[in-house]
Amino acid sequence: MRADAANLPGDIPEGLIEPSLTVGKVTPGSLDDQVLAFPETRPPKQWYIGLAITLTALFTGLGFIGYTFFTGIGAWGNNSPVFWAFDIINFVFWVGIGHAGTLISAILFLFRKRWRNAIARFAEAMTIFAVMCAVIFPLIHVGRPWLAFWLFPYPNQRALWTNFRSPLLWDVFAVNTYFSVSLMFWYLGLIPDIASMRDRTTSRLRRTIYTVLALGWRGAASHWQHYEKAYLLLAGLATGLVLSVHSVVSFDFATSVVPGWHMTIFPPYFVAGAIFAGFAMVVMVLVVVRETMQLKNLITMRHLDVMNKVILAMSCIMGYSYMMEGFTAWYSMNEYLHHGFMNIITGTYGWAGWLTISCNILIPQILWFKKARASYFWMIFIAIGVTIGMWFERFVIIVISLHQDYLPSAWRVYRPTMTDFGILLGTFGLFFTLVLIFARVLPVIATTEVKAILPDAQPHHGDDHHA
Amino acid sequence: MHSLTMETITMPETTPMPARSFAVLGLFDTPNALMKAIPQVRVANLGTVEAYTPYPIHGMDEALGLRRSPLGGMVLVMGILGALTAFGFQYWISAIDYPIVTGGKPPSSWEAFIPIMFEVMVLFATFTAGLGMLFLLNKLPFFGHPVLSSKAITGITRDRYGLAIEAESEAFDSTAAAQALKEAGAVEVEILPAPDRSPFLTSDFILRTLGGIFAACVVSGIVMFLTIKWFPLLAPMKYMQDQPRLDAQRASAFFKDGHGMQMPVAGTVARGYLPTATGTQEAAVALVNPLPRTREVFAVGRKAYANRCEVCHGAIGNGVGSLTAAYGGKPANLQAQQFRDYPDGKIYWAIVNGKNAMPSQAADLTETQRWSVVHYVRALQRAQNAKDEDLKVATP
Repeated sequence: MRADAANLPGDIPEGLIEPSLTVGKVTPGSLDDQVLAFPETRPPKQWYIGLAITLTALFTGLGFIGYTFFTGIGAWGNNSPVFWAFDIINFVFWVGIGHAGTLISAILFLFRKRWRNAIARFAEAMTIFAVMCAVIFPLIHVGRPWLAFWLFPYPNQRALWTNFRSPLLWDVFAVNTYFSVSLMFWYLGLIPDIASMRDRTTSRLRRTIYTVLALGWRGAASHWQHYEKAYLLLAGLATGLVLSVHSVVSFDFATSVVPGWHMTIFPPYFVAGAIFAGFAMVVMVLVVVRETMQLKNLITMRHLDVMNKVILAMSCIMGYSYMMEGFTAWYSMNEYLHHGFMNIITGTYGWAGWLTISCNILIPQILWFKKARASYFWMIFIAIGVTIGMWFERFVIIVISLHQDYLPSAWRVYRPTMTDFGILLGTFGLFFTLVLIFARVLPVIATTEVKAILPDAQPHHGDDHHA
Repeated sequence: MHSLTMETITMPETTPMPARSFAVLGLFDTPNALMKAIPQVRVANLGTVEAYTPYPIHGMDEALGLRRSPLGGMVLVMGILGALTAFGFQYWISAIDYPIVTGGKPPSSWEAFIPIMFEVMVLFATFTAGLGMLFLLNKLPFFGHPVLSSKAITGITRDRYGLAIEAESEAFDSTAAAQALKEAGAVEVEILPAPDRSPFLTSDFILRTLGGIFAACVVSGIVMFLTIKWFPLLAPMKYMQDQPRLDAQRASAFFKDGHGMQMPVAGTVARGYLPTATGTQEAAVALVNPLPRTREVFAVGRKAYANRCEVCHGAIGNGVGSLTAAYGGKPANLQAQQFRDYPDGKIYWAIVNGKNAMPSQAADLTETQRWSVVHYVRALQRAQNAKDEDLKVATP
């Protein structure tokens, strides 16, 4: 075997050599043995305990959803004038969580950031699970979810069509497209990995399942050629899509006339917030994954460091957006807008406004310190803070804007019910149940993509000199 | 690895030859060895050269002389098609089939169609890229490829690099191909037999397939029927049908007498049946003309007057109409001082109830028309008895 030719400095200046993305000696074979072996081993006891907890949360949520169906939407705290509350907050929150996955898998792919390869699979899976959690809310929010197909424009005996000028219908298209594209992207990435699992497993049942899922992938060079092209095209399409989806979600608010919603900054502000919240969730889950699944050599501290830097950058963009909101309220000289903004910092829900600002803007500034970016305590602390902060940001946008708008006689303080909290808990249960199951049945790291960037993985021109 | 080399080479001389071989597959341990072997094997020109690798290798397309993937063009075309489809669909629905004004926008406001155009474009393009790559270009799913049943496949999807010389015709020489691969540095060589090409479309297979489809149709039909029949009657779904409303001709527990329909409250007046001008003409003095004196009102009054009144009362209301002479009647001269002093209400009363020989006009003139006629009569009276001040008012 050749020596580590790729790690020899050669003519490249010292400062330009990228540090290795793996720790220790990783070969394609050892990578397979490390990552693809998980689905074939029995899960540890902690996994079952985790699953029991998440399933409890999931079934609690299902119970509350069932209760909502039987008693009606009145089981929630929503009432005039706050017709949108937990349902839409949670929808926007979960769609946002998904955006980090697409950013990592698509945008960073286009930018040729090789560090994404080790974490892209998990992040993409989280995208799909988060979108699944998100779509629950519009469905149950319509009140009669068994008629939710009325949202789609199809010829029907009622001779009705949908209203294409409504941002809510744009949302239906955007979220469905987003889910389809994410699933396609994820599955295409999985095919070569599933083929590897098919060829290494000894279990007959697993072999059958993997054979069907791998579609007969055989690693032919002529296939790889089209595959790489398709992956590149999908990355480009998903990049446009990820920017459009949360923009469309923000149109639900921005195209209305409610003070605090009707702002041109909303689309970029929502996209940045989505990526911010999503990265926090990815950091949180990856820390647990790398510790419990012994993947420290593949998901390195360098990965976490880079992701923490993204969180810090997004936090600064959020800070700018919040300031811009305040500036717009002041500069517009619009008394309603002014009142809406003052509500965020001094009103009934002023505590929520300050919680949002603290968790999203102030606390993440700790990440300027290199030590904090390398410390589990601080990165988990900040990630949990960001998750809470971003949930409350949507609460601030939706509830505070709605509970006091133009007509003082219609003002009312919104109070959520147990059912609202129960359903939110249920979606967290669903998300982490799916994450746990995914971690045990499919390769959590895109082995094919990591193999391709290992040292020695690509032919080196002129390596005869070193041999 | 290298120590195993000699044992694992399947030499064609010692093992029984498969009747026809599909390809000869050589395995390499490093991507460098593979890339170095490709030009040597291609020069030998024994068959189609194809590489099998665990991950894409840079420079492979050029080394194998593969043509550029046409996927980009396909995705471009389908993306544009998706955008046009979405635009056409939205335009047809919003502007042609179901034109409803929403948000004060014209039915064909195309700006609002852009978000969905974009989403559908991405959807079409994505499915073209993904499924087009899998199904059209790579011809997957295909489970019968000889490489999949080779011994080498476990290495190919793990950490070894395969190079195959695939048969192009009956004249394929597997011995020479194996030799060429060995000379190019392959550590293992395997001859892949041609796949079994016996027909699978036997009558038994067709019968079983059709039977399966039929059974699936019957089962799904029954399930659909029961779903459509019973599902809307289940608990939360039927709540929309339980409406606490009063039905005509039905009993109701809501009222004390148990009737759904109730007598109207005493003094109720049906819409359009206000009891105006039913008393004496003197009582009608209190009625006030509700209509403003506008050009439109006078036009309505003039038309109604011409149709219903003029034949007797005359075009200027002086009691000389075209029928007056023929019948010898004496219609009222509305220009007389007596009628010029009448309040509006008394003229209105006369229109509604008739007076002397004049019949009631209530059946033929609506409320608005009657009051318009009152205004018009007033205008006629004023026109026939104009004063100097009137001229001043009329000329600006």
